[in-house]
Amino acid sequence: MSTSISSTSTTPRWKAWVSAQNIVVAVVLVLAIIFPLVVDRPRFWLPNIGVRTLWMGTIAMSLVFLNKYVGLLSLAQMTFAGICSYGIGYFSVTMGWPIIPSIVLSLGIGSFAGWLTALIAVRTKAIYFMMITLALAQVFYSWASQAIEVTNARRGIAPIPRPDFGFINLNDITTFYYFALVLAVIAYVIFRYTATSQFGLAIQGIKDSPERMSALGYNVNRYRTAALTLAAFVASIGGVILVFDRNQVDPSFVSLDSTLNILVVAVVGGIGSLGGVFIGGLVFALLQNFAQDFTDRYMTLTGLVFIGVLLFFPAGLVGLGPMIRRLFSKRAKASASSESSETLDAERRAGTHNKKGQHK
Amino acid sequence: MPTQDIAISLTDVDKRFGGLRAVKNVSMEVRAGERVSMIGTNGAGKSTLFNLIAGVFPVTAGSVSMFGSVVTKQNTAKRARNGLARTFQTSRLFEQLTAEENVFIALGGRGLGVRSILPARRIPAKWHRVAELLETVGLVSEGTRRVADLSHGEQRQLELAMALAADPKILMLDEPAAGFSPAERQQLVAMLTALPADITLLLIEHDMDIALQVADRVIVMHDGSKILEGTPDEIRASQVVREIYLGGGHA
Ligand SMILES: Nc1ncnc2c1ncn2[C@@H]1O[C@H](COP(=O)(O)OP(=O)(O)O)[C@@H](O)[C@H]1O
Ligand SMILES: [Mg+2]
Repeated sequence: MSTSISSTSTTPRWKAWVSAQNIVVAVVLVLAIIFPLVVDRPRFWLPNIGVRTLWMGTIAMSLVFLNKYVGLLSLAQMTFAGICSYGIGYFSVTMGWPIIPSIVLSLGIGSFAGWLTALIAVRTKAIYFMMITLALAQVFYSWASQAIEVTNARRGIAPIPRPDFGFINLNDITTFYYFALVLAVIAYVIFRYTATSQFGLAIQGIKDSPERMSALGYNVNRYRTAALTLAAFVASIGGVILVFDRNQVDPSFVSLDSTLNILVVAVVGGIGSLGGVFIGGLVFALLQNFAQDFTDRYMTLTGLVFIGVLLFFPAGLVGLGPMIRRLFSKRAKASASSESSETLDAERRAGTHNKKGQHK
Repeated sequence: MPTQDIAISLTDVDKRFGGLRAVKNVSMEVRAGERVSMIGTNGAGKSTLFNLIAGVFPVTAGSVSMFGSVVTKQNTAKRARNGLARTFQTSRLFEQLTAEENVFIALGGRGLGVRSILPARRIPAKWHRVAELLETVGLVSEGTRRVADLSHGEQRQLELAMALAADPKILMLDEPAAGFSPAERQQLVAMLTALPADITLLLIEHDMDIALQVADRVIVMHDGSKILEGTPDEIRASQVVREIYLGGGHA
């Protein structure tokens, strides 16, 4: 058992990675906080880029959470968000209820939709789970396009005014941006915390080996169900931002296009990274707003960016950090060794460095 | 004998995979606290029998009981919660997590309660137990390494620690010594003989020395059937076993 040497070297690296990740998170958060102060035209940047990034990121984050920690690819996350948006429109506008109970109840309904989906889909895995969530999303879309009494069919529910809670008034765009930012941060914290809980460890175990988890006495399907419900709750938080961003809700919220946009945001940001989705969201929002300026085929451009990211950054744009770091550490190593030994470069060119690699 | 004293009882158990009859009409009983080894060539149906006892898949015919109650229709998780722990012939670990996190998960295999949202790191009593278990299997210095980085032998040891974590009444080990060095085999035998007397042990083992050393009783499987049953001495002396193992098919 010749192991003690390598065990001491892995621990600090893991710790360093975690703190590096947290530094990035802190920097991004600071940038997000000062964003309204530094942009030239807040009336354009805050709603079109800022708020949009936040709701797309939040919804995509729920997709990434399920993929990264539970191993399920759900294409119903946009639908859960849309259900919450519809709920807010229906209760507060159609029924004329006060806004806070409407929001709370709609968050509950969005989460409940996740739970129902889990009942149907949780026994299936991989591609089947994806297909079922996609099918359910389409079922809801066609229902929303027709249910005139509830959803007002294709015309949707409008206007849905931004609320004035008294102490905060969301009609002020800067206030609304910060409101969205707080919700997105809450969503992020929920997932980060969950991952470190006992529940979080268990679902990661289920992702790696459901058979083993059953053999240990875990009820695998109940854990999957709970995780999907939680992810639907977070997607619903995204739906709250979304509905007040648009001031309305209509079937386009839950269309196939919107569903795929969320998938693109998740993949561009990095399907293995919770925070990366906000980078994905930002890129997507920028494309949506500026691509029209120089091409009227912005969807094509989005597609090209998507393919480009898949080809060159399989870990998403957050994969860029580690890639750069690796590049630098390679350079650093190379220069350090060339200082110590002039002949190394010649050896390297001659191909003898392969031998060196074998020693480790 | 009261049926509660029978840890595992199989009655006329059959298992088909499509056209293949992997287990043929097997009946057997294992008393509580007994140590039973199962031997037989590759493909004899030993692992399949384990999976039937653990409830990984349903029997085609026959019935399975644990401590006197019929569990034929119970799922794996339920049987595990009733005291059955097992290892897998090919390690099924949580590759992305560390060794200690693997054992930690193995400790917590009960319901999905409110406590499960507590932060995992804040439960010192559990981590203490994790360290004990890693010590038992000789992995205590590897706790913080990711499973994917462990050697094959270490992964097998981790499998053991996880099976022991639940304080099982019945422990089923599927070829635990596969890939072990002679030293590790010695350790394994020592560990198995040191198990608390009330644990029922069902062991599949290719290494005859280990299988016979640890067992009170040995069951020989061949081609899906139980062909022989006896004490280690009887098995050592058996002409049939010699033929099976020397005569071919020993992979
Ligand atoms: N899940 C399965 N599906 C189909 N056939 C299986 C399955 N598991 C085992 N078998 C077959 O059943 C027979 C017995 O296998 P197994 O129980 O693994 O034998 P042993 O553990 O004694 O080597 C083999 O022919 C094997 O191919
Ligand atoms: Mg086997």
